[in-house]
Amino acid sequence: MKIFATLARGSLIAYTALFFAFIYIPLALIAVYSFNANPVNMMTWTGFTTEWYAQVLGFKTTISENALYLESTSQLVEALWNSLIIATSTTAISTVLGSAMAIALYRFDFFGRRFYRVVMFMPMLMPDIVLGIALLIFFVNSGINLGLTTIIIGQCTFLISYVFIVVTARLAGMDRTLEHASADLGANEWTTFRKVVFPQLLPGIVGGALLAFIISMDDLVITYFIAGVDVTTLPMFIFAMLRRGIKPEINAIAVMMLTFSFVIASLGLYLRSRQK
Amino acid sequence: MSSIAFRRRAQLAILLGPVSLFLAVFFLGPLAIMIVTSFLAPGLYGGVEWTWYPHNYGRILGFADPMFEDFDPVYIAIFLRSLKIAALTVVATLFVCYPAAFCISRLSDRWKNFCLFLITLPFFTSLIVRLFIWVLILRQTGLVNEVLLGTGVIARPLELIYTDGAIILGMVYVFIPFMFMPVYASVEKLDWTLVRASLDLGAGPIRTFLRIILPLTAPGIAGGAVIVFIPALGNFVVPAILGGAKVMMLGNLIEQQFLAARNWPFGSALAMMVMTVMLVLLFIHVVVSGRRGFDPATGH
Repeated sequence: MKIFATLARGSLIAYTALFFAFIYIPLALIAVYSFNANPVNMMTWTGFTTEWYAQVLGFKTTISENALYLESTSQLVEALWNSLIIATSTTAISTVLGSAMAIALYRFDFFGRRFYRVVMFMPMLMPDIVLGIALLIFFVNSGINLGLTTIIIGQCTFLISYVFIVVTARLAGMDRTLEHASADLGANEWTTFRKVVFPQLLPGIVGGALLAFIISMDDLVITYFIAGVDVTTLPMFIFAMLRRGIKPEINAIAVMMLTFSFVIASLGLYLRSRQK
Repeated sequence: MSSIAFRRRAQLAILLGPVSLFLAVFFLGPLAIMIVTSFLAPGLYGGVEWTWYPHNYGRILGFADPMFEDFDPVYIAIFLRSLKIAALTVVATLFVCYPAAFCISRLSDRWKNFCLFLITLPFFTSLIVRLFIWVLILRQTGLVNEVLLGTGVIARPLELIYTDGAIILGMVYVFIPFMFMPVYASVEKLDWTLVRASLDLGAGPIRTFLRIILPLTAPGIAGGAVIVFIPALGNFVVPAILGGAKVMMLGNLIEQQFLAARNWPFGSALAMMVMTVMLVLLFIHVVVSGRRGFDPATGH
């Protein structure tokens, strides 16, 4: 019997190791092959190069004389800019609105509170294509030109929910006795909020903002429907590239994007773990 | 007293007013318009005619407008295939996550947190990048074929990409955190004394698993199944990248109606089908889990 238990334990651990291998080996592969010098077949190793990175970052390389590559690099930079503009705006808007909503729902009891909660969870459950087409129909009918503005508005509709959930979790973990103490010691409501509540809430708000930022940078489906013809974001650029055919510098772009979101996400998760 | 009440109302209005307005106009409004659109007739050159037209749903379900078109069972076939792929994705994700959840739940706190961090991390990285990696691995000149050809295991490249299997693989890869978190939450709460009691009383390991462990972790499995099934059903990126033109799912069909065929009412009706399936599933889930309220963050 004991042998069986050990065997079961061993195979469970082996399975879990495989589980993590399944998640991370593909990510490791792309990192390795982004340094592959083979310009034709990206998965056949021919030698080490950093050309693709140099290419993406706009340095002069031996391949950049090819006009086709140059054009796509300037498009890439434009897409990156668009993504950054969108992510910055949506983060600002959705952090303010989502935090306000979280505070209102946590601190006040009012008619329709449950309805608000349901509305907050809707975008997380709905397939994003549904929201994408609903927004497309709405914007076209209301005569708003598709472009950066519609992308920013559209992304905020679901980013508010993410901020809401992170800030609500933070509110739930907060110590209310400090507020009572502050009130007992004569501070008025506004001072208590500024000096006691807000500093405690801040990690939640920052966490929510970081989450909103990376989700905005990463959103493809909803943006794809409401972007119109002139605006391309980074995920849309890669999506279009995948449909047209893959060029080696896409590996380098992918690795840089992964690194970027790893850093932001680690920071966010670290902040969250420190709250407890 | 009433001045305090008034102040609280004013505070609430300031906090809630702008966000309510924003969501009413840009979230609930568009959804309502989409529902209305799904019952309108498609215009000749794209656009919409303002007449009652239930045949958008008819085209999918079997009562097409006899004046214009014959019923084409291709749409119901795509609908059923999407249900099938979504269901298989749920099953595969569960098989991938369930044993790992057990293993991780028995680790020390430090390792546990580290493992959970590793599982959540990919969720925050670019979806399109994570799918693109699988293109490089699976395509005809991809890693798997290169290795197998190079070592002489196969003579001709295998057709791995642009299949149902590739779509399911891609979905599993993307949806692991969605399934893992709710399953883990219920596995971690599992009362092991019950398991030990069952074993002590002479039930074998299989019986103990089926009668004790499985029922106790069922809420997590159900929660994970719901939050994987719904986005899988309406998914459009995964089939677009890994399914090629051959394998169409509801998501691709909806995209086509909006960006190529320009039949918005029909596209809206298809989206409503996805929404209906979602609402039915959520309803069942809430009823079965005893009206405890559904929290998508944990799946309970």
